[in-house]
Amino acid sequence: MSENAKPSVEFTDRARDQVLHFRQEMGENGNSALRIKVGSPSPLDPRYEFILIDPHERGSEDVVFDDYGFDVVMDPESAKLLDGGSVDWVETIKESGFKIENPNLAPIGSKPLEGPLAARVQQAIDQFVNPGVAQHGGSVTLVEVRDSIVYIQMRGGCQGCGMASVTLSQGIERILKEQVPEIASIQDVTDHAGGTNPYITAAK
Amino acid sequence: MQRILLLFSRTTYRAAAFLAAARRLSVDVTVGSNHRQALASHTPGSTLVLGVAAVDRAVATIVRFASDYPLAAIVAAEDDFTHVAAGASEALGLTHHSPAAVRSVRNKALMRERLAAAGFPSPWFRVAPVQSDPTDAASGSPFPCVLKPLSLSASRGVIRADTPEEFVRAWNRIRRILKDSDTVRRSGDAGAEILIEAYLPGREVALEGIVVGGELLTLAILDKPDPMEGPFFEETILLTPSRFPKKVQSEIVSTVQRSAAILGLDNGPIHAELRVDHGRASLIEIAPRSIGGRCSAILRFTPDATLEELVLRHALGMVLRGFVREPGAAGVMMLPIPEAGVLREVGGMDQALAVQGIKGLEITIPLGQPVVPLPEGNRYLGFLFARGKTPDDVESALRVAYSRVAVRVEPNSGGREVSVTEFFPRGRHPLQ
Repeated sequence: MSENAKPSVEFTDRARDQVLHFRQEMGENGNSALRIKVGSPSPLDPRYEFILIDPHERGSEDVVFDDYGFDVVMDPESAKLLDGGSVDWVETIKESGFKIENPNLAPIGSKPLEGPLAARVQQAIDQFVNPGVAQHGGSVTLVEVRDSIVYIQMRGGCQGCGMASVTLSQGIERILKEQVPEIASIQDVTDHAGGTNPYITAAK
Repeated sequence: MQRILLLFSRTTYRAAAFLAAARRLSVDVTVGSNHRQALASHTPGSTLVLGVAAVDRAVATIVRFASDYPLAAIVAAEDDFTHVAAGASEALGLTHHSPAAVRSVRNKALMRERLAAAGFPSPWFRVAPVQSDPTDAASGSPFPCVLKPLSLSASRGVIRADTPEEFVRAWNRIRRILKDSDTVRRSGDAGAEILIEAYLPGREVALEGIVVGGELLTLAILDKPDPMEGPFFEETILLTPSRFPKKVQSEIVSTVQRSAAILGLDNGPIHAELRVDHGRASLIEIAPRSIGGRCSAILRFTPDATLEELVLRHALGMVLRGFVREPGAAGVMMLPIPEAGVLREVGGMDQALAVQGIKGLEITIPLGQPVVPLPEGNRYLGFLFARGKTPDDVESALRVAYSRVAVRVEPNSGGREVSVTEFFPRGRHPLQ
């Protein structure tokens, strides 16, 4: 166990106070620690879990630091994914909770499109995909290429189309993988519920 | 890699779930549909255009296709293509219900005839040409009775009549529905007649299963807690596990097993609808496919499988033994369309999603599009999904969440706010 390692995650004063408040509220005697776990590392919907644990719930591989008046415990994978992140506590009318800013799991579309892989994917979309879907009033936009995963958005007649998943798996994915074999998969990040003019609407 | 042919109607709700299942099973997919895919010219073998009405021609197309791209299984997601899937599977020697069995259940009158001929308990029924005089058709019918088009699904065109006058009105309304070009295309010859059945009282339930070599594997019994007493039969909430006593659940399973055997449904998915009255289960209909709409999202199985994966597993000859429904309760609500008009706004979605137990809310008609309620309507407004410890928890979550959803439909005569209770007067509101 790497006790008292250099903090890899920063806590705001509000977040620190809230953890201390939770410990006090639960009648903790000072031995409990805060475990942070990356529940889902998907950049589409990253999720984090916070839980107070007893000493016997720590693992031998856990990464631990204690600069905020309590121990923060993370499994090695979560520690790696959270390195350089910060934890805040937010309270609004609708919800309250810990909020993590994590540069390692930045939301899709927040990074600029650059690099040869993205350029080749863009070229395949321009040359093969968009001329085809345009026949149905649709278009496909490249949002980002990250870790060999291509993220796209469908628009126009494709957005909300009942056949969008077929177009994606039987058309777009096959074309892009043929043209750019090193890509691993295609993720559709379209808000299909927001489509106002789909080419086909599902029906019974 | 094995290849499976998935058949979808062009207006399918089911494509994403089946494609995800195929991906998880690592099988290659060809999608057959009555719709030419936009990118088909760049991806040979990935899609196939098939007609719905000309079954023999569609079967021949599939057989030719299979000589270039050998198929390990054919699965139809919706009623439209079950004939084609059965015919092509028979021609290629693949696992599927037989064409004769599919024919007998795709036509509601034929199904009643087959069951009655086998001595299976059946309600009074008869069939009359749609062009016949409804007054004549009403004479001799018991009341209350239910009038049904022979091959439409999801309660489309199904109307209860308590008097001869209501019978005539219902008849004329169904006649208009059957005149609709899309409806006629889907109905084929079955669009020429109307089935008249004695009304079956009781609570409605559905059974989802797969028949494996003649043995029914029951995957879920789904209660429909809202009274479905007509005049139209809009489905709203489905809950599983069933709250009926074990003895009644056994009766439901036994009724479906016996009717499937009589009808020859022996290898493939089935979705059955029944009425339960005083502990006795009566079959309303049985379809040679899995559940429709997005409802399958509530059915998950351990170890880690969706309903669609189980359907594909069976079609591919893989083992189904050992899969059981995940513990806990789940439910879905098919959101009713309150009135004909144009869908302008669906509010309160965040508030609905905030209800404990609610796992999802999908609106499946885009804003600005026309909406038509039953019995004419052929689209779901959307789906609300919930999970919980018990069916009571799930039902409560669905009802609370739905009460927070505000649907604004602009009738053709001008815009106004539509409240749900306004269209379901006290005592008739299916959601109370």
